Amino acid sequence: MRLPDRVTGLFLVGLGAAAAYGGWQLPPVPGQPVGPNVFPLVIGTGLALCGLAIAFGIGRSFEEEEHLIPVEGGQPPPPTGKLYGLRALLPPALLLFYVFIADRLGFILTAAMIVYVTSTALGARWKVALPLALLAPIGIHLIFSKLLRVPLPPGVLPMPW
Amino acid sequence: MLNTLTQAFALITTWEVIVAMFAASVYGLVIGSLPGLSATMATALLVPVTFYLSPIAAIATIVAASTMAIFAGDIPGALLRIPGTPASAAYADEAYAMTRKGEAELALGAGVWFSAVGGIAGTLSLMILAPPLAEIALSFSTFEYFWLAFLGLMCATLVARSSPVKAIASMFIGLLVACIGIENPGGVPRFTFGMTNLFGGIEPIPALVGVFAVAQVMRAMLTPEPPPIPRRRFGSILAGQWKLTKKYNWQMTRGNIIGIIIGVLPGAGADMAAWVSYAMSKRFSKEPEKFGTGHVEGVVEAGASNNASIASGWVPSLLFGIPGDTIAAIAIGVLYMKGLNPGPTLFTEKASSMYAIYLMFIIANIIMIPLGIIMIRLASHVLRAPRSTVMPVIMLCCAVGSFAIGNNIFGVVIVATFGVIGYVMEENGYPVAAMVLGIVMGTMIEQSFVTSLIKSDGSVLPFFERPIAAILAAMAIGALIWPVLVWVWRKLKRAPVPAASAR
Repeated sequence: MRLPDRVTGLFLVGLGAAAAYGGWQLPPVPGQPVGPNVFPLVIGTGLALCGLAIAFGIGRSFEEEEHLIPVEGGQPPPPTGKLYGLRALLPPALLLFYVFIADRLGFILTAAMIVYVTSTALGARWKVALPLALLAPIGIHLIFSKLLRVPLPPGVLPMPW
Repeated sequence: MLNTLTQAFALITTWEVIVAMFAASVYGLVIGSLPGLSATMATALLVPVTFYLSPIAAIATIVAASTMAIFAGDIPGALLRIPGTPASAAYADEAYAMTRKGEAELALGAGVWFSAVGGIAGTLSLMILAPPLAEIALSFSTFEYFWLAFLGLMCATLVARSSPVKAIASMFIGLLVACIGIENPGGVPRFTFGMTNLFGGIEPIPALVGVFAVAQVMRAMLTPEPPPIPRRRFGSILAGQWKLTKKYNWQMTRGNIIGIIIGVLPGAGADMAAWVSYAMSKRFSKEPEKFGTGHVEGVVEAGASNNASIASGWVPSLLFGIPGDTIAAIAIGVLYMKGLNPGPTLFTEKASSMYAIYLMFIIANIIMIPLGIIMIRLASHVLRAPRSTVMPVIMLCCAVGSFAIGNNIFGVVIVATFGVIGYVMEENGYPVAAMVLGIVMGTMIEQSFVTSLIKSDGSVLPFFERPIAAILAAMAIGALIWPVLVWVWRKLKRAPVPAASAR
């Protein structure tokens, strides 16, 4: 997901301009010189200026390349494909899945699916992932629902406690 | 004073506080020692739990977990060359070199011993610095608060280990996030796009969980699994530490002082303290050639430094609500929830609670020695837990924890969104700590800015008229133009070189 500075810089210019314009549109407080519109205007302008500077490569010389510590013994290089990078989007996707499904399916089942998928994606075999998917949701449910009284959705599989 | 101290003792000697502190210590040690799980993440995931505790117990968990996690990061650093938390990254190479020389006990012992010393030094600085500063801060008006907040944001961008322009951009993004909601001078919905869930604004805690926990799980998806720690038997951990303390007394003190200063600076935390101290240690050492070959000197100084910064990071947090580092940013959120709103009056009205915080820091740093030794001995077992079993549990904690904060499922959406934002920013060299600071301080800086402008009738002059405000303004503006000056200077110095090589 490493994007060229030009792309992120121009994105920030757009974001800043949109924020400044959006702030400018807000109604002022009658009889007062400054209202809710001033702050977004200032920030949006600042952000857009920073974006321009980044797009033109100002301040690049300050960047220290993060030196990754190589692991001894020689790790296999991670596979590089077009789709491989998309794996990073799995965790947020699973969280959104939780948002939409948890109410209907209940906490235990949804959580079990999330655990199983995450675990498998990180390279666990089903012998590890399956017991974990069974036990982890129950454990979390015990702590949060029983101990901390967070109302977790029961769904189709309510817990007996 | 003595009366307050007795009250503070009474506050922390309840079963709830003792159990919470012990449990949080164990939790902090485990999370901190697992590579890829940072101290900030450990603290952020604790927040939902603190909801259900009394104020003092809630703070106790944060104090204990953050202190332990910063030390525990040294363990995989020394044994695997993989820092458990970013705060240990500065000297992971050095500590690992010591392990290869057969001095694992000395490296780990220095980690636990000098972490404890640094933590206590940091606590002393908190005890000594905060009350007199509170006296001064009582006379602050919105002008001073504006400049203080501004200075805090500028510091965060100055110390970031990336381009200052990108750091300032990150800070602006954070401030923009803080604009969302109806809590603004006009009370109108701002940037809510018609979503009622956004009316209340973006809560800092779910945003922090997203940036520090979800983004980490995302990164784990693309990086190879770290190797397990080889089993080994340790000799005495603390043997020789007293000798080291005497030999490197000055290095240790310097590490403590640097850690305290960096901790007080807003936005700069333990990792920064460790980097600066390690570099200083090497720079001023009598035997700099030994650095990198398993020399304990740098480990002593940086280990003392990163733990010292944890406690001193609470100074600006408690006084002004300006977080000294990302962990303190979370602590501020918890303080607000528990009715201990940060501000100078905290030290007069809730003095016993403040003393309780000092005491808890000292206790946490003392029990870190025995617990840390146990953790070191168990490390090869704990660290055997593969990532594929830890990360799924973290995911569940993110989902349930962010829901529990407001009993609102929208919290989970925020966590997921900020996970993506944090991941993309970090990948492209935008420091997320600066954004976090922007989110936490946005409302405060806007309020002080707009109130000041209303008071001055739109004129900018009164921002510089009060003496303290003028000093703070000079510092803030200096911090703003400093990178520009450095950049121009570098340009001037470097300009002839490429021209010569081109010919």
